Amino acid sequence: MTDRTSVDLLQGTLAALILKALSWGPLHGYGIARWIEHATADELLVEEGSLYPALHRLEARGLITSEWTRSDTNRRVRSYTLTAEGRAQLKAELSRWDRFSAAVTRAFDTRKARTT
Amino acid sequence: MTRKPPERRPWRDVESDVDDELSFHLEMRARDARERGLDDETARREAERRFGNIDRISREVRAIDSQVVLGQRRRSMWSDLQQDVAYAVRGLRRTPGFAVVALLTLAIGIGANTAIFSVIDAALLRPLPFADSPRVVFLWNRTPEGLPTPLGPGRMMDFRAQAMSFSGFAGISHLSYTLTGAGDPETIPGASVSSTFFDVLGVKPLLGDTFHGGRADPNAVVLGYGLWARRFGADPTIVGKAITLNRRARTVVAVMPQQFFWPFITATPNADGGPDLFVPGGPGDIPRTAIDEDRDVRDNRNAGYIRVVARLRPGVTRHQANAEVQGVGARLSREHPEDGGRTAMLVGAREQFFGTIERPLFVLAGAVVFVLAVACANVASLLLARGAARRRDLALRRALGATRLRVARQLLTEALVLSLAGAAAGALFAWWATGALLRLAPGDVTALGVTLNWRVLLYTMSVALLAGIAFGLAPALQCSRGDLTAALSEESGRTSGSRRSGRLRDWLVACQIAVAVLLVAGASLLVRSFVSLTRVDTGIDTHNLLTFAIHLTGRKAEYQSEQVRFYAALQDRLAALPGVEAAGSAVTLPIGGDDFGTDYLVEGKPTPEPGHEANGGYQVVMPGYFAAMGIPIREGRDVSASDAHNGLPVALINETLARQQWPGQSALGRRLRISVNEPWLTIVGVVADIRHLGPAVPPRPEIYQPASQRSFPFMAFVVRTTGDPDAMVPSIRHAVAELDPTLAIAEVKTMDDHIAHALARPKFVSTLVTGFGALALMLAVIGIYGVMAWSVAQQRREIAIRMALGAERSSVLALVLRKAGWLATGGIAAGLILMPLATHPLRAMLFGVTTADPVSIGIAAASLALVTVLAAFVPAARAARVHPASLVRS
Repeated sequence: MTDRTSVDLLQGTLAALILKALSWGPLHGYGIARWIEHATADELLVEEGSLYPALHRLEARGLITSEWTRSDTNRRVRSYTLTAEGRAQLKAELSRWDRFSAAVTRAFDTRKARTT
Repeated sequence: MTRKPPERRPWRDVESDVDDELSFHLEMRARDARERGLDDETARREAERRFGNIDRISREVRAIDSQVVLGQRRRSMWSDLQQDVAYAVRGLRRTPGFAVVALLTLAIGIGANTAIFSVIDAALLRPLPFADSPRVVFLWNRTPEGLPTPLGPGRMMDFRAQAMSFSGFAGISHLSYTLTGAGDPETIPGASVSSTFFDVLGVKPLLGDTFHGGRADPNAVVLGYGLWARRFGADPTIVGKAITLNRRARTVVAVMPQQFFWPFITATPNADGGPDLFVPGGPGDIPRTAIDEDRDVRDNRNAGYIRVVARLRPGVTRHQANAEVQGVGARLSREHPEDGGRTAMLVGAREQFFGTIERPLFVLAGAVVFVLAVACANVASLLLARGAARRRDLALRRALGATRLRVARQLLTEALVLSLAGAAAGALFAWWATGALLRLAPGDVTALGVTLNWRVLLYTMSVALLAGIAFGLAPALQCSRGDLTAALSEESGRTSGSRRSGRLRDWLVACQIAVAVLLVAGASLLVRSFVSLTRVDTGIDTHNLLTFAIHLTGRKAEYQSEQVRFYAALQDRLAALPGVEAAGSAVTLPIGGDDFGTDYLVEGKPTPEPGHEANGGYQVVMPGYFAAMGIPIREGRDVSASDAHNGLPVALINETLARQQWPGQSALGRRLRISVNEPWLTIVGVVADIRHLGPAVPPRPEIYQPASQRSFPFMAFVVRTTGDPDAMVPSIRHAVAELDPTLAIAEVKTMDDHIAHALARPKFVSTLVTGFGALALMLAVIGIYGVMAWSVAQQRREIAIRMALGAERSSVLALVLRKAGWLATGGIAAGLILMPLATHPLRAMLFGVTTADPVSIGIAAASLALVTVLAAFVPAARAARVHPASLVRS
């Protein structure tokens, strides 16, 4: 194991990250993994495989769709696209995250201890 | 193709898709690692490490995808079904003529089944309204001939004490009570029952409390719901009040609920009519006798008047109990020669009430199944014709990728939509028909009430589904076969496919004819049997003959001399009424009345073994009875007022008895007696035979004693009127009231009413089966017409060519009729072959005809031959009018 700080990745957060990754355009699973790796400086995705159950669940919920395409090496590649519903869901997640993180930040910024 | 359709081999697809996806990820990661300078092996391991547990993840993803596929499949099946149903409904609405004919046909077929099943349900399937009703049984004496007879008091007490198979045991006797007080005196049919009676049945009263084992006020009475509602205005405070029965005050302790079901218990199964009130038994908890309510009968073993109802002890089967009572009965008869060598037998409650209805109901059930079969054949034939007309459409669907299964399923769905719609219409029809059925049905069929309940509706649904499959399957298989080129290239519809479905329709018509032959033959048999029943000479002149019963009470009832004096006085008054030709009286009425049987011994002949005595009917008559009934006296004289109580005991016998005992000789002056303890009776007259037990039962030996020498406190009167007998009822009531205002007249009926009642069941069954036969005939006509019309339409071209070549119209007519003739011949022949099998169950119900009755078989064959020709004639005439030029035009 690496000595990196591991962060517990909540299911919901992973889903939100996938939706965010796909908001730039269709990607296959590996592409999404790479995007998350870059975007979070390799902090979040500890077990890359866990991406796939999350992807398939999102598809079952209709937030993303998939289709099989051919890669440049002529391999079958499953490529995911955000649906309109998925886009709406992403928006909702983002605003919720903003409120949540603002609240948490505010709480952590209060240096003086409260007594009640 | 980028993505396979999800329906095809979905499980394997899910697996390989997931494998492909995950391995692509691993390969890409490894490739990146190689680009960073790692060697192949290290790069691969690096990729796997970063990925995590491949097995677990792949399983998890597969599970998610499988769920998705399953849901899709379920949704697509459901939407296919919706599509099929919508398609079927659309198709039916496009062809309303077809839809209406098919629906009506099915409604009749299914509705008739539902109606008959609702009656069967009421009589044979629904639990009887007693607690744990299958454990309620009836105990009868069993004669050496195997017939059930009632028990005597002593024997009943022995059974009660000795038989171990029962947890409850109650005796029942039937007797009449004259109710006086508010309103006119009225004779009420009642029962005297052991105090355990209501507990044996496990029934609860509506008001008050019934008798219980060992404690019953001897002056208590339990009222039936009908009597309480009719005579006492449903008085809710009646419990505790006194009413006057047979001039004695009795306290009402309970009122039974409306659904309490208790008919008269008779040796032949009965469910029609029952006691309206119940009183406790007398000394020893023994049911009271009709002759003298207060007599202590504990030592009596002769009088057989007690019926016994018992409840099987838990764990004892009816078979075990029956074996036990047989043993006890045989032992008692050895210990008591006066018990007459009888053993005993148990009869289940349902059999006791409905035993003889079973067969007629099953015959009716068979008849309606036949009707439904004919109806199904019609609808199948219609569907085949429709399928043939839609061949292009169906072939096109196949060519556009629908599998044969899909098309067949669609056609079957159409059939099921039809049959379920038919079932709905049929249930409505049955709802109406059941009402009509009940008005027609004898009382015992409907004793428990007939309703369309969930069991009946479930049955209707199953019948509809079965019928739908039966008439839908062949067309579905046949019509889904179609191949496009044949269907599209056909010009006149005369391809092998349509010929095949044409042949199938011919078969169906032949089957219809066969089934119709069977139904018509069955109906003819039953009708002819009923007609011979109505034509039977009962030996009685039934025209304008009014009958009623009198039950004496008080002092008049106690002394035989008083009884006879009253009967004579009443008879004189009746005879003197204007409009009355003659009046007479006897203790029991023939046909529909009660019946006293007796053993008898003939002087000068060896005394037979116990249980093997000769027996016959026993009657007590007043002078003038035979004249009033129109029964001729063949030899000797009538009973007379001078046959004094203490004079020479005399009797009249009927011709059958005279012929059996003294063939070829005069019976006058001979002597017989009804038991070793009774005096010898000198025969003073021989009268003509009558059918005492009803038109269907041949005359048996009868013994008539003068009432002046032996009488009972009840008597049946017969009044021969010059005009309408019913119009005489008021003046008869008046005549009785003048003699004694506290007496009521009961069971006022004409002799024709009695005979109609005796014939109600054969009339019911023969009427219904005739109706079903007519329905089958009608449906068969529709079927034959349909097939002939279709086949003429198919042959238009051929016929036109023949006509163009100079064929005569008559030869064209003959061509079509010949085909009809073949169908009829085949169908009728098949019907005749199956006839013995189908009419076998009727055997026991027939009177005066046998199942081999040539007239009935002839009627069936001829009627089908006739309707086939008639049904074929219109299409044949149409064919003969085909103009050769039509060939060119089409």
